[in-house]
Amino acid sequence: MAQSDIQGLVFNIQHFSMHDGPGIRTLVFFKGCPLRCRWCSNPESQSGVEELGYDREKCLRCGTCLSVCTRGALSLTGDGLRIDRTRCRIDRAPCVRSCPAEALRLYGEKMTVGEVLDEVEKEAPFYRLHGGVTLSGGEPLMQGEFVLALLREAGRRKLRTAMETCAFADRELFLEAASLLDYLLADVKLMDDARHRRAAGQPVQVILDNLRAVRRAYPSLPLHVRTPVVPGINDNMEDILAIASFAAGIGAARYELLPYHRLGLQKYGYLERSYPLSEELVLEDELFQRLRTAAAEICPAQAVSDETR
Amino acid sequence: MTQCATAYTVQERILHDQSKGSANPYRATHPRLFRLFDAFDGTTPVVDVERARWFTESMRETAGYPLVLRWAMALMNIAKKITVYVDDDQLIVGRCGSDRGRYGILYPELEGDVIARSLPSLLDEGRESCPLVIDPEDVRIYMEEVAPYWQNDRCFREDYVHHLPPEIREVGYRDKDGYIPRFVCNDTCTYRTSLQWVPDYGKVIRLGLKHMKEDALRRLDALDHFSPTDTLRCRPFLEAMVMVCDAIVLWAGRHAELARAKASAEADPGRREELLCIADICERVPEYPARTFHEAMQAQWFISCFSRLEQRTGSIVSNGRMDQYLYPLYRKDMDEGRLTESRALELFDCLWCNLAQYVDVSLSAAGLASYDGYAHWEAVTIGGQTQEGQDAANDLTYLLLESRKSSPMPYPDLAVRIHARSPERLLLEVAETMKVGQGYPKLFNDEEIIPLLMAKGVPCRDANDYAASGCTEVRCPNVGAFTAASHQINLCAVLDLTLHNGRMASSGDLLLGLETGDPREWPDWETFLQKFLMQLGHITRYTFAAVPVIRKIRARHFAAPLLDLLHEKAYDDCRDIHGEEKIDKAVYLAFFDTIGFATMVDSLAAVKYAVYDEKFVTMDKLLEALDADFSKEGMEILRRRLEKCPTFGNNDPYADSIGLAVERYMQEYSDKYAPELGLQMDLRTSSVTANLPHGKEVGALPNGRHAGTPVSDGASPCHHADHCGPTMALLSNYATKAWEYPHRAARLLNSKFTPKCVEGEEGSLRLVDFIRTWRDLRLWHMQVNIINRETLEAAQKDPDSYRNLVVRVAGYSAYFTELSPTLQNDIIERTAYESV
Repeated sequence: MAQSDIQGLVFNIQHFSMHDGPGIRTLVFFKGCPLRCRWCSNPESQSGVEELGYDREKCLRCGTCLSVCTRGALSLTGDGLRIDRTRCRIDRAPCVRSCPAEALRLYGEKMTVGEVLDEVEKEAPFYRLHGGVTLSGGEPLMQGEFVLALLREAGRRKLRTAMETCAFADRELFLEAASLLDYLLADVKLMDDARHRRAAGQPVQVILDNLRAVRRAYPSLPLHVRTPVVPGINDNMEDILAIASFAAGIGAARYELLPYHRLGLQKYGYLERSYPLSEELVLEDELFQRLRTAAAEICPAQAVSDETR
Repeated sequence: MTQCATAYTVQERILHDQSKGSANPYRATHPRLFRLFDAFDGTTPVVDVERARWFTESMRETAGYPLVLRWAMALMNIAKKITVYVDDDQLIVGRCGSDRGRYGILYPELEGDVIARSLPSLLDEGRESCPLVIDPEDVRIYMEEVAPYWQNDRCFREDYVHHLPPEIREVGYRDKDGYIPRFVCNDTCTYRTSLQWVPDYGKVIRLGLKHMKEDALRRLDALDHFSPTDTLRCRPFLEAMVMVCDAIVLWAGRHAELARAKASAEADPGRREELLCIADICERVPEYPARTFHEAMQAQWFISCFSRLEQRTGSIVSNGRMDQYLYPLYRKDMDEGRLTESRALELFDCLWCNLAQYVDVSLSAAGLASYDGYAHWEAVTIGGQTQEGQDAANDLTYLLLESRKSSPMPYPDLAVRIHARSPERLLLEVAETMKVGQGYPKLFNDEEIIPLLMAKGVPCRDANDYAASGCTEVRCPNVGAFTAASHQINLCAVLDLTLHNGRMASSGDLLLGLETGDPREWPDWETFLQKFLMQLGHITRYTFAAVPVIRKIRARHFAAPLLDLLHEKAYDDCRDIHGEEKIDKAVYLAFFDTIGFATMVDSLAAVKYAVYDEKFVTMDKLLEALDADFSKEGMEILRRRLEKCPTFGNNDPYADSIGLAVERYMQEYSDKYAPELGLQMDLRTSSVTANLPHGKEVGALPNGRHAGTPVSDGASPCHHADHCGPTMALLSNYATKAWEYPHRAARLLNSKFTPKCVEGEEGSLRLVDFIRTWRDLRLWHMQVNIINRETLEAAQKDPDSYRNLVVRVAGYSAYFTELSPTLQNDIIERTAYESV
């Protein structure tokens, strides 16, 4: 199969992204993630298969979707739509396309490398000196063959590439992907194995070792480490400074703290899942600013030179 | 994953801090600016009748003289009799009327009938939108001394409407006298004497009026008494030139006298010194060449102010390339230690306060609709290229950007010309100024504008020297000579006509367009599009046919000797710029405007998608739903499906190819028929605020838009239809331009960002990348709104705390709380959401 025909599962391509790598970037969201972070704001990114989302508030109860479903997976109740997820095969999702209210949405679409990059390249006139494509997710490294083909084809099309990763992945794959990248963003949430396992479902040691290995193998690849600061998980000086020291220790170009938010909350509802954290949690802004200042003293928060942009 | 904590613009932070009691930080560094500003901030504009009175008094006595000379005589009468003012704290003096805060003046020669109908009711009832105040005594003066003279077609508006062919009048207005516009094919000439304009201020600064007067006198002396041309055309013209020079010098001198009188009564020695300095300057300029930066600033303001007395330039006369014509004296004063940056900023502040106080008084329905929020935009152009094509940015360019940042007002209306060799510093400082969040500066693209001007016959040197004029237009001050404002075509009304066999949903059985037949009988999309284009051609024909009428009638009513004096070709040829005969070597750049571009494209795309391609609705059902405004059972579901059809603004060829087909048709139309008019007729897509009244007239449309709601503004995508972000909106604009024709001009494009998107230094660099690509896509214009939606919503709830909130409207900025509620909502709807 030609490199550009290799298929993967993508749940969104977002143009004009301003916070995920240098310059103006196009974000490709891969579906499927090895972690289950309790604060995850993109729950639709976690499962490695297509999923149907349903927004009860937006639904007009019009029944248009029922008439187009070939599997009999949908029924209308007084409370709105009932989706029999065992029957639903998605299968081009005619229900989603016909829904007038955008109450039904499809998370995940099989796309070839060529299709993804054709959409990405629309924005190429805006990349100028620094911008490019950023692979995000989910976890791009969950789809090994696809991610490598995508990065190689992007290189052939002269696009600059960045990847956002949780770094919980096969070492060889990670290193090979890194060899094709111009910029790497990695999340580190906690330094303690047991606590990381409780918060994100997997131990942290693999992540830390992978990041060290990438730095050793590709010392000139700019590494941008990020930590989502989540109340009750890591919103304390000790945890943040430990991660900052790790980032500084492996020579990260940049260490950035991201404030916890609940913007993904609704999407749990769309997937008929419950939010794993308490909905009342709030990150104290004053605390966040203090953590940010302290972390910046250990590892720079902003890009220091054009090189790392 | 984008994580968001709210970010705020500088403007938002200042307003927020002010609501908690801390002062605007610029108060400490710009004390004079805020002393002046506080005196007029929030005042309801006063309508002053003096200009109308002295103008009319003279016109009554000069019947029989050539019009250009009568105009100069009227200006002389005004210069002698109008009250002159030297405002407290001001360093740049001169007003056209009342010093009770914000004010405006009247032009009875333009719309005397409308004024006579409106003033008494203004006194009795006031008005809700853009309130104005007027003294009962002034109403009496107007009604008794001014109004009678302009009756019976003596004012332009009435004469023009009565001279229109009936078929054009019917499409234009609901009534025979043209007071109630239909907003289908809408005139814009009845509420402005001239198109937006830029005179050559630099000439006055360099030469002085005395020199120009002497030149006119020499030419008068050399006239051949036996030549009919010399005696009939040149003599009165040159006499008018001499008289207008004398009028301005006399008027400036009266300011000098007043300043001196005020100085002798002044107790404060500092202010006394200032007043004496003002008196010296007013005795010097604009009669003689300016010697200092301060003198140049005063000369510029005198000319700009006197131009207001001469005529109503639509949205008020622009300021031209200030960083160019002021630079030589700025450099000289700086080098010789006479001037500091902070003093120069203070003088600019003084000028901005003068601009801010003069409002464009709109009394007609059409005028008010186009200039919501006391709109006026006297564009200050900076950057760009020199006449020789070198980059023109200089210290003054950056100082003007700096000055914009500290202004709490929508003035100056700063416009930056961007070109392929614009320095990095300029782009970065532009980005940083945009991030203040007041919608400034707006950008003009040399890479599109200059080649187009040259293609239409403007010499290279003049094309390189163009200046922004008004919202999105440009002028070559010494070459361009077309001053007649032409019509706006409501593209959405054209679609309404297509759907209803030449009638509109709102006009019942009245035939307004072409009977193109019943859409139910059209077999395919190609037929539908062809019928739409036929309808469009039919309405466009009216806009073209009206142009010669407008030109002919204007020539009978208007002259502009000051403009002529400062226009090289008009002056050389002894022909008034508003005249019907063409000025030798001048270039006539006319235009026709279109309203509701994106709404039209989206609606056509929805018809193609829903009826002909996906076939989820029949034409019959669609028309039924449109006529019911989607109000019946089950129609809301259809409406929502229609909203999901492909739309303009997402770089989607499905919709963009339709936009291109329409644009191409219009340019082809111009290519074919403009030569008959002897003019360039350029397609423009620049609605200002007219997308609101135009939307009001149009029934429900196939893109799911409800009847009567606003249509899209300028060339911006419909609200919420550009779900792929600002980069794709730019690409859609690129994809819908017919590049093979030169018959195009301004496209007004609003871009929107949340403050979070452009936060920090990295955000500025990304904004620079965005600007560079906008430039490379050769889009004519762009303005950027950077604000949080929550701030606008808060301002609607608590207008008092947000009185100074400045937002980008359309080609200009205004105080948000002074806009009509409909326009406020339109702006809120167009404000970006944070991406998640």
